[in-house]
Amino acid sequence: MEPIKMNLIKIFTSTFLLKGIFAISLFILILISGISYKHTLSLADSTESVVHTYKVNIQLEQLLSFVKDAEIGQRGFIITRDSSFLQPYNAAYVNVLISFAELNKLAANNIQQQNNLESLHQLIDSRFSNLETTFRVSAQIPVDKSLLKASMLNGKIFMDKIRFQVSKMIELDMAYLNERQAKYDHEISFTPLFTLLLMLFALFIFIFSYWEINKDLNILKITNANLLIKTESMSHAEEIGGISSWQWNLESNKLIFSDNQYLLLGCEPQSFEPTIEKFLEFVHPKDKHLVIDGEIQVLENNKYPTSFFRIIRKDGEVRHFKSLSKLITDINDKKTLIGINFDVTEQHKTTLALEERNKELEQSNKELASFNHVASHDLQEPLRIIQIYISRLIEKEDTTMTDKGKEYLDKIKMSVTRMRTLIEDLLLFSRTNKIEKVFEKTNLNLLLENSKLDLAGAIEEKNAVIYSEELPTINVIPFQIQQLFTNIIGNSIKYSKTNIAPCIKISCEKIVAKDQPELKTKSTKKYFKISISDNGLGFEQQYAESIFILFQRLHNDKEYIGTGIGLSICKKIVENHSGFIISQGELNIGATFSVFLPS
Amino acid sequence: MQNAPIHILLADDDEDDRLFFTEAFEEIKIKTIVNTVIDGVELIKYLLLPDVTLPHVLFLDLNMPRKGGLDCLIEIKSDNRFKDIAVAIYSTSASNEDIEETFIKGANVYIKKPSDFNSLKKILSEVITINWQHHTSSLNKDNFLLTL
Repeated sequence: MEPIKMNLIKIFTSTFLLKGIFAISLFILILISGISYKHTLSLADSTESVVHTYKVNIQLEQLLSFVKDAEIGQRGFIITRDSSFLQPYNAAYVNVLISFAELNKLAANNIQQQNNLESLHQLIDSRFSNLETTFRVSAQIPVDKSLLKASMLNGKIFMDKIRFQVSKMIELDMAYLNERQAKYDHEISFTPLFTLLLMLFALFIFIFSYWEINKDLNILKITNANLLIKTESMSHAEEIGGISSWQWNLESNKLIFSDNQYLLLGCEPQSFEPTIEKFLEFVHPKDKHLVIDGEIQVLENNKYPTSFFRIIRKDGEVRHFKSLSKLITDINDKKTLIGINFDVTEQHKTTLALEERNKELEQSNKELASFNHVASHDLQEPLRIIQIYISRLIEKEDTTMTDKGKEYLDKIKMSVTRMRTLIEDLLLFSRTNKIEKVFEKTNLNLLLENSKLDLAGAIEEKNAVIYSEELPTINVIPFQIQQLFTNIIGNSIKYSKTNIAPCIKISCEKIVAKDQPELKTKSTKKYFKISISDNGLGFEQQYAESIFILFQRLHNDKEYIGTGIGLSICKKIVENHSGFIISQGELNIGATFSVFLPS
Repeated sequence: MQNAPIHILLADDDEDDRLFFTEAFEEIKIKTIVNTVIDGVELIKYLLLPDVTLPHVLFLDLNMPRKGGLDCLIEIKSDNRFKDIAVAIYSTSASNEDIEETFIKGANVYIKKPSDFNSLKKILSEVITINWQHHTSSLNKDNFLLTL
């Protein structure tokens, strides 16, 4: 799951990157468009100013030529007296006025040119009035030649002034044009480089984006392939494990079942449109409320209880389901309930079988208890009666009985006593097993003292001495530990050497299990090791383990009476306390029993 | 107890035990009147006889047919007429459960049937010479079981 998740996170962050790139590209595009637009506007502006200058030039030249027309026409008339020469002269002034109107329009935004135009107008008006004067002079007969000459010279001066004024205006307009052209050139000189740089940058960004998108696509492809494998292995696992999964989109109310969900319901995969109602149809009528309650718990209380219910498969077979669900919220804040159903029918059957076995066990335990009762009462009763009769016989017939008879009677008495001890020990052994284990924090020193009291008779009889170190206070089943002390110390006294008073030493230390090689464990649990050693008969080390086995005895009963149950009880008691008991012996030197109780 | 005989009643289904019991009292040098019944039903019948002299001490076996010792104990201790009778449980076994239960139900002393006639005589004479008033007031689980 992890690599897929990582890949997806990568793609999510790269989506942010791509969005950024898109925004930058858009900005660059708008910038380029803006620059181009402004550029085009400037170009149009520049063209217009060129056309304007050109128009002004033409109009001024035309104006000049109209004035010249009038002059030439007048001259022709004066020389030839042919009135046809007066035709252009007459038209000239009208044309001049039209030209002025045109020029006025063109110079509308230029005060300097307007002023110049005003001066030109005055000059032309003066020229025309001069022409009128020249006419009048030439029309007088006879012609005053000197006056005509003066008037014509005057006309030439005006003409020169007009030419000068026109060329001045043309120059001025050219100067304007140049000025504008220079400004335009300055404006656009950086634009091509800037545009080129922007284009290159945009190109770089596009290539980078392409590379990024391609990378993401590859990750998606790999992720998709992985997902496919996971889905496949998931459905495989579901099939093997008897598990199915479902998803319930709470926004769209759409339900999705895994293939195995259908199989668990005994249907072909995806053979029907899954809905809550459809699923409830499969649920055992008596368990429907469990499923509905479970849903309510999840949706309303945000709790995810494990629910158990039965379903009836398509073929009518009843199966047991265990169901777990969980509410998840995706990155778009959409809620989906996902869940897993387990087919636990086999486990259920096993549990039922186990319960059945448990009942049987309980029954057999009861029988055992009643056997114990029979053993403790009914088996001992006749033996006790025999014992009392024997004691009566010994007392009453003491004088009449032969010695042989007395000896036989003694042997009967011993056998009966042994039989009773055996029954009692057996009972004790079985009780050690079955009695309720109530642990209490107990001072072991007190239990040891109680044991000494139990054994007071034997201790006194054999003059036994018991030395003990301070014992701890731990959690134990008190009467069992007391029994343990009684049995072990009792053994030490019983199997002591003749003529040597038993000396029993009890020591205690706190140890860690793995430090004790004889325990054969690597556990680091801590134990109290209580060692009880004596100076008695001991035993050969080869019997160290077998002495704990039920009915195993190392001595034949003529010398030492024993049932072979005592140490088995000890072992059982120690096991009840999750501890260990081990023994070490040396024949005719002594024995040591080590009890390990968890601290 | 010097002059007036002590009335003793034993409820036990075992014929041998009843025999030892009466023989033991015959040999004890204390004036006693010993009666025996064979089970719980007979015991209650006996106690309800019109001209009965109630025993000072009742020895009660636990394991009896028809009506056991525990049922008798409960009946006697809950009946105002009989609740002052000192009840000595007299049983073969001395299992913790039995001791505990009879103690709770109000028995005064618990003795385990001995396996020796002399021990029997000893323990019986000890029981009938108990100062019941003193014994009952200081009775606890530890001194409830009487041992020699």
